[in-house]
Amino acid sequence: MFGFSARSISNVLFWVTRKKWLILSFLLSISFFYVPSPEGLTPEGHRTLIIVSVALILIISESIPLPAVAILILIMEVILGVDTADGVASSFMSDAVFFIMGSLMLAVALVNQGLDKRLALFVINVTGNKTWRIVLGFVTISAFLSSFIGEHTVAAMLLPVALALIRNAGLSTNKATRLSTLLLFSIAYGCAIGSIGTPSGGGRNVIMIGYLSEFGMGTISYLDWMKFAYPMLIIEIPIVAAVLWYTFTPEQKIMDSSVRKLKVKVAKTGKLTANQIMAIIIFLFVFFGWIFLSPFIGLGIVALSGVFLYLSFGLIEWQDINRNTNWGVILLFGSAISLGIQMKETGAALWIAEQTLFYLDLIFQDVGIVRWFVSVIVTGLLTNLLSNAATVAVLGPIILDMGGEPIIMAIMTSIASAFAYLTVVASPTCMIIHSTGLITSGDYFKAGWKLFIISVLLLLIISTFYWPMLL
Amino acid sequence: MKILIAISSKEYSGPTLDVGMNIARVLNASTTIVDVGQKISEFSMKDVSLANELMDTWDIDRPGVDVLEWAYNYLSENKFIEEQSIKDGFPKNLLIESGSGRAEVLLKGTALENLSLILRNGDIIKELRDEVDTKKYDLTIIGGSGKRSMAHDMIQYIDSSIFIVNNFNKKVDYKILLAVDDSPGTARAVKYGVRVAQAFNIKVDLITISKDGHLGKEYKKASKKAAKMMRRSGVEAKQNFEIGDPVDTIIETAGDNHIIIMGASTQSPITKFFMGSKPLNVMEGSNCPILIVK
Repeated sequence: MFGFSARSISNVLFWVTRKKWLILSFLLSISFFYVPSPEGLTPEGHRTLIIVSVALILIISESIPLPAVAILILIMEVILGVDTADGVASSFMSDAVFFIMGSLMLAVALVNQGLDKRLALFVINVTGNKTWRIVLGFVTISAFLSSFIGEHTVAAMLLPVALALIRNAGLSTNKATRLSTLLLFSIAYGCAIGSIGTPSGGGRNVIMIGYLSEFGMGTISYLDWMKFAYPMLIIEIPIVAAVLWYTFTPEQKIMDSSVRKLKVKVAKTGKLTANQIMAIIIFLFVFFGWIFLSPFIGLGIVALSGVFLYLSFGLIEWQDINRNTNWGVILLFGSAISLGIQMKETGAALWIAEQTLFYLDLIFQDVGIVRWFVSVIVTGLLTNLLSNAATVAVLGPIILDMGGEPIIMAIMTSIASAFAYLTVVASPTCMIIHSTGLITSGDYFKAGWKLFIISVLLLLIISTFYWPMLL
Repeated sequence: MKILIAISSKEYSGPTLDVGMNIARVLNASTTIVDVGQKISEFSMKDVSLANELMDTWDIDRPGVDVLEWAYNYLSENKFIEEQSIKDGFPKNLLIESGSGRAEVLLKGTALENLSLILRNGDIIKELRDEVDTKKYDLTIIGGSGKRSMAHDMIQYIDSSIFIVNNFNKKVDYKILLAVDDSPGTARAVKYGVRVAQAFNIKVDLITISKDGHLGKEYKKASKKAAKMMRRSGVEAKQNFEIGDPVDTIIETAGDNHIIIMGASTQSPITKFFMGSKPLNVMEGSNCPILIVK
């Protein structure tokens, strides 16, 4: 046909079926381009929204590689005349991107130190051998650690510990049991509730802080953030443990031999090495840097200083960092933040905010409820479809343009974006436990919906009664 | 001759591996067994591999290794690999990363010259297509998945002959149902028919179907030629002539105690995409193993 071989036609067909979302987004963007701008929306704002919809379709469908989506956003921003090439470039890099880059690198450096065995020993020594205490221990340690370092680091380090316990209990690490589901979820959900605790708990917190200062809406220090968010984290720990326990109650109420075997195994690793001590010292330096120095030099620069120290003390090879850092994600967040800034500057964010307020006000009859609904419910649901940081990058500018106290709105959105309980793609931790093959997509819903509702209510109570005392 | 056998789990892939290895033995084909693990979202790919690296230091197998280990045990029980290597157990540490998301172990075969086990991760159709395109397999063997659309995509996009081991049951006395007409694909289908019949030591029903109620000379000649070839190879074959719709007739005759073998459609990929093809329709309607020869 037309001189093409059957094989090449088949190749084209294959491409078309695999890339249908790319083609759809292309067609959509062309047709949106020719729709006249609605009243109140600038032509630049109109075109920015085209980019937003293309980016959302491509990120959710994953029909092209994520770095390609990132690059496409930058190209479209320039070609559609939203900003100049230099303007796009400068909105692409910010302290928030530095932070995401630094924290991904720190994760690699920390994971490489072999501290996971120490962590295992610590958890087991504290919890003892009762299964419910182990679950509570996993949730607690995941939550505390991931409130300071990236949740993916914590999940990666704790996953082998959980699997070792499961294997030592005489169960296969390839076949799902209630025990395996319970232990793995206590890591994933522990990390999720932990990531709200401090600005460095997740890239999205830093993105939100970045928006606040970029848009001149206010600043919030590391410790102030903790005052807002940490109480919620602490209240959620027993709740998560209890909900998981009653949803996936295991047959094994005591894991005596399992714990003993783990202790024997870990004991073989000996005392802390000089390198491990050094690694911990550097990490403490980073931690205190975040608390005391970040108001002056930014969270990102502190994280990068840590990476600098790890590299220059030879605690990690650059090759390891290079191989295990997800550069694609860094590119994507850079682009998403750039898009967020353009949404603000072109007035697109304000336009969507006004439309949402207008229409939702017809339903709820109260502007406060509308703001709450968008910043908590919409963010919480979108975070389960998109990744949580991408959700905040896109929704952040809109929510900040809806009025209300900016700092409250910012923290509320960041916290709601941690309600990533319902799907595999919601957060890296969900994907990590899913990758073991022990957790099916259906499992996320079983306990997830309960936690989602409880978290929403808890956030409502805390933001109504506790936060006003802080302002 | 190169064969690719796609497995997914101990629970469901037993028949596929069994059928595949028996065919590989008769064809003396160099054989690769692949397990395609689940797709990992790109957001988390590095985080997952970081976790997997740590799991290695705890001697915990990464997902998929257990499936390969199971396949390895099957191969050693059935004497497909040398005794020397059996004693050592499954050589997990020889699982070598070769390219993005592809890891491979080469085994010393006895019955076969080359035998390897590989692990890939991602969208199954895309991974199998990549594998077949780069390594040029002649035959891909895969279990009948619950998802019809997957078998459909396999036939549409994978550039090798395809054997879908659908509802295979060892207790059933299978016969081969070989569709014969005057198309060029028939000759290749007959060759495979002989091999499969030899592999399982079973009989062949040749079926020639006329749509318009009239059996042309060419059809009769083709059927006779096929029967002759079967006889020469020592395979018992019976000629059948039917009138009716080819797809319905094949599905009806096959029931659930035949292995259907037919040539791939020669229509253009676009026609196949929109209109379907005979092999696709037979595959969708039938309830038994089917081999489509390209």
